Amino acid sequence: MRGFRAALLGSALAVASAIGFNTSAMAQGQTLRVGMAAQDVGRLDPHFAVSTIDRVVVAWMFNGLVRFKPGSINPAEIESDLAERWESSADGKTWTFHLRRGVQFHGGFGELTADDVVFSLKKAGTAATSAFSADYRALETIEAVDSHTVRIVLRENIPSLLGILTNYAGGYIVSKRAVEERGDTFVRNPIGTGPFALDRVTPNQSAELVAHAGYFRGAPQIGRISYRFIPSDASRDLAFQNRELDVNYGRADQTWLNRTRAVPNTVVDVFEPGELAIINLNTNQPPFNDIRIRQAMAHAVNRAELVRFRGQDVAREGQSLVPRGYLGFSADNGLLPADPARARALLAEAGHPNGITIRAIHTQLPEMLNMMQVVQQQLRRSGITLDLQVVEHATFHQQIRQDLSPMVYYSAARFPVADIYLTQFFHGRSRVRTPTAVTNFSHCDQADSQIDAARVSTDVEEQKRLWAEAQRILVQNVCGVPLIETLLVFARRADLDYGYELKGSMSLGPLITEATRLR
Amino acid sequence: MTGFVLRRLLAAVPTLIAVLTLVFIIVRIVPGDPALVILGDQATPEAIAALRTRLGLDRSLWAQYFSFITSALVGDFGVSMVTGRSIMAEVGAVLPHTIDLTLASMIFGIVIGVPVGIWAALHRNGVVDVAARVLSLLGLSFPVFVSGIFLLLAFSLHWRWFPVIGSADLSDYGDRLHKLVLPTVALGLVMAAYITRVTRSAMLQSLGEDYIRTARAKGVPWRRVVWVHGLRNASIPIVTVVGLYVGILLGNSVLTEIVFNRPGLGKIIVGALNQRDYTMLQGLMVIYCFLIVVVNLITDLLYGVIDPRVKAE
Repeated sequence: MRGFRAALLGSALAVASAIGFNTSAMAQGQTLRVGMAAQDVGRLDPHFAVSTIDRVVVAWMFNGLVRFKPGSINPAEIESDLAERWESSADGKTWTFHLRRGVQFHGGFGELTADDVVFSLKKAGTAATSAFSADYRALETIEAVDSHTVRIVLRENIPSLLGILTNYAGGYIVSKRAVEERGDTFVRNPIGTGPFALDRVTPNQSAELVAHAGYFRGAPQIGRISYRFIPSDASRDLAFQNRELDVNYGRADQTWLNRTRAVPNTVVDVFEPGELAIINLNTNQPPFNDIRIRQAMAHAVNRAELVRFRGQDVAREGQSLVPRGYLGFSADNGLLPADPARARALLAEAGHPNGITIRAIHTQLPEMLNMMQVVQQQLRRSGITLDLQVVEHATFHQQIRQDLSPMVYYSAARFPVADIYLTQFFHGRSRVRTPTAVTNFSHCDQADSQIDAARVSTDVEEQKRLWAEAQRILVQNVCGVPLIETLLVFARRADLDYGYELKGSMSLGPLITEATRLR
Repeated sequence: MTGFVLRRLLAAVPTLIAVLTLVFIIVRIVPGDPALVILGDQATPEAIAALRTRLGLDRSLWAQYFSFITSALVGDFGVSMVTGRSIMAEVGAVLPHTIDLTLASMIFGIVIGVPVGIWAALHRNGVVDVAARVLSLLGLSFPVFVSGIFLLLAFSLHWRWFPVIGSADLSDYGDRLHKLVLPTVALGLVMAAYITRVTRSAMLQSLGEDYIRTARAKGVPWRRVVWVHGLRNASIPIVTVVGLYVGILLGNSVLTEIVFNRPGLGKIIVGALNQRDYTMLQGLMVIYCFLIVVVNLITDLLYGVIDPRVKAE
């Protein structure tokens, strides 16, 4: 009897372990299907990944020296990634990073060494090999101390060195050998250290990724990712409803959100960073060289209405010329409230008692055009007639950089520190049509000294005070009128567990990590 | 015959060069800097200038034109400015999908359109004729993105017979055929509507001719009068329309490709235009132009088969 029981128990254990084994094998083979609003991917060299489509996928393939905690964009939660620890000198200008040992690149490109890190950061800081080179200007030297130690010396202090070394934009570490061997083809054959490696890109269809079995945090639970390019919102939604997709890029629109939430077995994630839309007013050109007209514009805009139009769950009012939640954001800036009567009075005072007509170039991208049309109606109530010249998106970007539009609607998210936003949009050095241009369409430079002083300050409180002062100056000069912040939206099947709580993602899409699994 | 084909192909060379030149000029006249599109809005003027140099956009227009034409004439269209991949490889990857859809829609259009058009002509002003005319008008006025969504709602979401994502594995013929059905119906319905109307009017004209009366007077069976004497003489406008429409389908099926998530030439053209991918646009235009030349050539050859007088000329 005892023998029979033992045999039974043995058989049961064998069956159980076989079931367990099979479950594990099934999990290993699972494919995650992600639908993206895209015709195709562009450049998968992370230092050239500038579009949302590219950023989302490179985040699955690459690591930085440090990383944002998955699901968060809080700079205070930056944690170890390829570097297991680091230290800085007392003056904050010399930083030493100690790399993890045994980190493997995809495709047999060997172990990560300090040479790869030095090469990657120099590449990220070079205009010819990176779209983010401006972020790395403050790095004076980057050198390998030994095979697993890297030293970075700064020319001057910057608000967050760790910030530019995260798993974001130029901070991704590439394989030196792969870049050198693959040359120009690296943009479509990238090699990183992330949990997933690129298998192939089928033009116009999908990018297929496979799990990186040698990933240093452990083999991913998802076996493959099929990143599918589906430009039609309607078709993508139908494919998601038909269970042909597990994750779907969503629209920041309340109607879409409500409809998708009603789909059975579906979770909709709304997360940071919020993209702040601002109407930038060119203070050098008529009519906005008159501050009364700029103030009239500010009074004419009703942010609460704009939020209602976009949706309470996906949008919130812009409160400053820096998005909410960014380090250094300040709402104490004297932002002018919606007041059409006051706007009309200001126009009359400026010599336009019968109202004013303003021609503005605007993009035909539906989500930006819709919002601008609502603003157009709001301005009309205050006597401002907005004559929109709608052009194709690439044309819009070129023409606004040529100062062809006195007002520019621009919506953007940046690294969540006030310095980046203030420098790129409101520093004199970033004015368009100058050799150092970025996206300063207002031509404002009144807060340059505060922005510059905050950037090199080592006192966090002083930094915050200076950033708040800069925002106050810029808002009072009406260099721009903040509209709304729009959050990111993705839908997923309820049985997909990202392995973390998705509250934010600097890659603008959900991170798929080694812990992500389909239950 | 071979001489005729060669002469036609040679005659197409100046057309191709003219198209190349026009495309070269037009893509550069359209505002929008490819370097800015590739590098995004945070790129510095220094980075943009560096990329323009790498892409050869800082050279004079003449130098760019000369190198483009000389490369194109030997079949080298270069690489995409955005992806760095060979243009021939990019086009080669999607061309089978475009050809599948074009041929399937053409066959669908002919199989539905020709018999319905004949039937309507034979029952002029009758119920069948009115129904055919109304339905064909509906077919022509219904945009593909509307009919496509209806088809997806019914056959993918409700009955689950076909997938929503229509991009197929080229090596799996069953999958390829399965995913071709709905796009073919959506696109083919428009073509069928067009062919129905042309067939009807060509048949009405043909059936009113003296030779039809003569054939009937000689006692030729009605079926033979319609299908041999009538249809053969009505075929020239039908073939012309099909040839023209196939040309349009090759590059203009972009809406069908987007709604049914299929790769294809139309989608690549739109993507290249949005991204100001000059080299890709130029390469695509040459390939598209070449395909149009081939389709026209086949149409001309068919004229000879249908009407021996054309062959004699």
